[in-house]
Amino acid sequence: MSEIVLETEGLTKYYGSSLAVDHLDLKIPRGCICGFVGRNGAGKTTAIKLMLGLLRPTAGSSRLLGCDSSELTPAIRQRIGYVTEGHRLFRWMSIAGLEKFQRAFFPEQWDDKFFADMIEYFELPKKKKIKHLSNGQRAQVSLAVALAPNPELLIMDDPTLGLDAAIRRQFLEGMIGLIMREGRTVLFSSHILGDVERVSDRIVVIDKGVLRANCSLEQFQEAVKKAILTFADSAPDEVNIDGLLHCKRMEKHLALTLVGIDDEKIIEWAKSAGAENYDIVKMNLEDQFIEFTAPANQKRLFKWEER
Amino acid sequence: MRFSTLLYKELRECLPWMLLAAIVLLTLGSFFLREQIHYRNPSWYYSRLSPGTIVESHLFTYSSILGVTGPLLLLSSIGLGLVLGIRHFWIPNFTRTWPFLLHRSVRRKTILTAKLVATTIAFVLCLGPVWIGLYWYACRSTIFPPQTLKNFIEGWIFIILGLVTYLGTALSGLSSAKWYTTKIFGLVFAAVVIFMTFPQCSLFRISAVIAASAAILLSQIFQIFGRREF
Amino acid sequence: MKIKNKLLYISTPAKVFMTTLIILILLSIIQGISIGIEKTSIHLKKRSFQTKSEKKLTQEEKRIDRIRSSAKEFIPDGTIHLICRLEHLSDGIDLEQIYDANDNLLWEGPSDKRPYEYLSWAKHLRRYREGFTKSQMKDTQMITTDFSRNVRIPVQSDNKTEQIWRYLPGKQYFKGYNASGEKIGYVGSNGFTDLKSKVKPFGEFGLFTAWCPQDASSPTLLWQTQRRIYQINFEKQEVETIFKSTDADIEFERTSLHAWRDLKPGEKEYVDPNKYRPLIHYQTGDGKLHLILREPKQQFSLSVPRASVTATKQDIYARSVGSDSFPPEDIIKSQGLYNKWLKEHSGKPRNLWTELYKVDNQGNLELINRYDWIVPPTSSYVTNARDARPIVHRSVSQFSPPLYDLIMRLLGRKFLRSIFAYENRGDFFYGLAQMILEIRPYKGVINRVLSAFMMVFVFWHGWPRRTSWARFVFWLVFAGLFNIAGLLTYLALNHTAVIKCPVCSKRRGLAQLDCVRCKAQLPYPERGKLDLIFSV
Repeated sequence: MSEIVLETEGLTKYYGSSLAVDHLDLKIPRGCICGFVGRNGAGKTTAIKLMLGLLRPTAGSSRLLGCDSSELTPAIRQRIGYVTEGHRLFRWMSIAGLEKFQRAFFPEQWDDKFFADMIEYFELPKKKKIKHLSNGQRAQVSLAVALAPNPELLIMDDPTLGLDAAIRRQFLEGMIGLIMREGRTVLFSSHILGDVERVSDRIVVIDKGVLRANCSLEQFQEAVKKAILTFADSAPDEVNIDGLLHCKRMEKHLALTLVGIDDEKIIEWAKSAGAENYDIVKMNLEDQFIEFTAPANQKRLFKWEER
Repeated sequence: MRFSTLLYKELRECLPWMLLAAIVLLTLGSFFLREQIHYRNPSWYYSRLSPGTIVESHLFTYSSILGVTGPLLLLSSIGLGLVLGIRHFWIPNFTRTWPFLLHRSVRRKTILTAKLVATTIAFVLCLGPVWIGLYWYACRSTIFPPQTLKNFIEGWIFIILGLVTYLGTALSGLSSAKWYTTKIFGLVFAAVVIFMTFPQCSLFRISAVIAASAAILLSQIFQIFGRREF
Repeated sequence: MKIKNKLLYISTPAKVFMTTLIILILLSIIQGISIGIEKTSIHLKKRSFQTKSEKKLTQEEKRIDRIRSSAKEFIPDGTIHLICRLEHLSDGIDLEQIYDANDNLLWEGPSDKRPYEYLSWAKHLRRYREGFTKSQMKDTQMITTDFSRNVRIPVQSDNKTEQIWRYLPGKQYFKGYNASGEKIGYVGSNGFTDLKSKVKPFGEFGLFTAWCPQDASSPTLLWQTQRRIYQINFEKQEVETIFKSTDADIEFERTSLHAWRDLKPGEKEYVDPNKYRPLIHYQTGDGKLHLILREPKQQFSLSVPRASVTATKQDIYARSVGSDSFPPEDIIKSQGLYNKWLKEHSGKPRNLWTELYKVDNQGNLELINRYDWIVPPTSSYVTNARDARPIVHRSVSQFSPPLYDLIMRLLGRKFLRSIFAYENRGDFFYGLAQMILEIRPYKGVINRVLSAFMMVFVFWHGWPRRTSWARFVFWLVFAGLFNIAGLLTYLALNHTAVIKCPVCSKRRGLAQLDCVRCKAQLPYPERGKLDLIFSV
């Protein structure tokens, strides 16, 4: 079994009387690229900050590289790279100044060449101040300063937020450069499921503070399915199939979201229910995520969708 | 090296305000002092003594250099303390750079100490020499006898009150309470300390008040910074 | 013990202290504003009442009022006259009437044309301009820009300052400088000297007054300390010890001078040196009045405290004023006796009198004349001397901490009296004590009830949130001692969130892991059957 670099046990956080993270149990092994996804307000940033010791848990615990998150030593922090949400850096510093600042905290680990290569790759002028950079450029600098110390564990909180497709692609390529190095672990949260699909080998889904999925990407993609059944008359009132998550009825059609059931069983049920036609829809990760995390009786935003 | 890097970073953030405070104090201070030196010439002041008269006792009290430059020194000091406190502890709340700073491979205590040391250096290096210069100028002037050591120390007390203001601002900035509850209590306490310092009539009492207040503020700042959520 | 735990033991009390202090200050500001508004409205009401009531006075009442407000002056033969001021005419001149002891009008006219010459009495030096007091000397030690000052005595010639003598409060002597700023010497109790090692301090400062003699343009100082009085002539560079008290401290605020200063005619305190002898009189802490005279030199003591004294070329006189409106000392010491005395004298007219004595060379007194008069009661005495304050003042004081009463009780009566002593005026801690005295609740019932209510509220609020019994009990006691300030401090520092316990449905705080009632921990959320959670 691989070494566990990130572990949480019953991690709980209340903001006032509002529950943000509810008994999160997580284990991330070394060498894993883990996509941490959830809807807005699900508790991703809170969970990441709890792991990094920036927030104190109401209950439970978290350990990074074997050290309790509330008492992360400087030596442990040196082994962890962190890209903050929104890439918040010191605006008055230049890129060169930021490099000098960051290097001081990683005297043995800092890879000058790697940093220089990244800056050159992103075409960033070193003398320019952070406040004069665009969002995308700032994200690139943020990634460069996080990767240059060659961290064992890289935690990124929505690193591609606000970036266009081209910059996102560059960002991910930079990340892949790190991933290629042996033994590196990445945990990153994102709303862009396409990015998660591209690079992750593990996915963690959190919904309203509660852990809903913690498995390999393949397992998730295999498990979440959608089947559209067509009936000659009207669709049956009762749908009693294993693994049913949602069911949408449209006169003669049934759209079923199913989890953890084989295709054969779906077909078998469809036939037994009298479906004229059935189609198991191929979904991308984004569609799967939306279906998986949709509430049971979700209201439509726009009324015309109901027609 | 890490501490010095942090220290340099904090000092660099203080630099524009330090220079501004020093320039304002030097320019206006020397202007006021030059004006008042002529105005307060003892020959004019004591010309009201004449034979066979009762002398109003208050004529024998003579304002020190602090009487001339005191308000300016105090305002500069308090202003600098406020600004640096806001720069170090309020602005990161808005720019959300705390997570980046706190994830440095140093203890939180080290980060905080760097801020405090940087501010102390800022006060000593920027206001200190100006005050020494003004004092030297007053001593060289036609006001005689020379200014006392006590007056010199009083100027430093005004400078230290600026540091107390900084600590109060820091405590308010770090507080996670609402502004209409206890968030501004740090600032209010600093103001109370400043008002409590003035009516004390011995340097020992003044020092005791300032030392106790600084201890109260510092202990809370260290405690909050060590446990605060960002 | 870990370092961060040690810090908690300092920072927590510091936080409580700071928060409590600020809330107490805010509370006292609100109380002060309320009391101030009430005092102003009472004062305005009184003035309008007095204006209205003046029109309704009878002849007899007018007469009594005239006698009450008249100045009682003695002629050297002992005859007393009552001088009633009618109106102000010009600078220092009033239109007045003079009556004798039998209420017969003797004369009416401007005060500068009086046909009678009255005894002129020595006056106190408390006034700001004339006497530099201990509290002013303390003020010079403050670091405000107005107060941070030095006391400097110039020595001049030809209108040019030649020397400056600066007083050093810590060392209690003067240090001298010439015009170039070089040191020239020292002045202490043993006189002028060149060497620092030889100078002796004057002693704890009490008061000084200064004048320029007729033949000099440099000042002479009368310098008073706790037990001595010196005369320092800076022109002649002489220090003379005028008086030494061996038994008790000199009460500096009762120093009076008469014809002592060598002033030119026309000066405000000018006294005809042909008619009066130079005189100083002091009172010491043992109640004795000490006289120092010149021409010829004389010194003796009287046992008539708080008397005015004068010395003509022929005789020495003392004048005292008495009243039965103040209870004797032994009654003041007991609160119960004092209340009883107040009740007995409530609403009754007061008797006042003035007496003139001649003093012989041994300090013996001979009564020459006495005049008595009655003052009608202006308002009834408040039966409860403990809390004689107006209603709003009493009401807002009920919100003050009961701790104030406890502090005042512990400090004792002697301290309470010293709060308002003249020598303590301007001192920060005495000022603070005055403020506490002003707003203390005086064991009011409402105050106790309010404190109890605060404790109940803290109990209700703190019960589901308690993390330890020690803290819980501490805050209960704190709220009881500090009243509303205690409650606000508690809420400011302890208002943590509560939720409904999922097990027992009662309120529980989040600072502790277990519910305070059912001891249940926060439960795990229900796992969905379709959740995809696979272990690594």
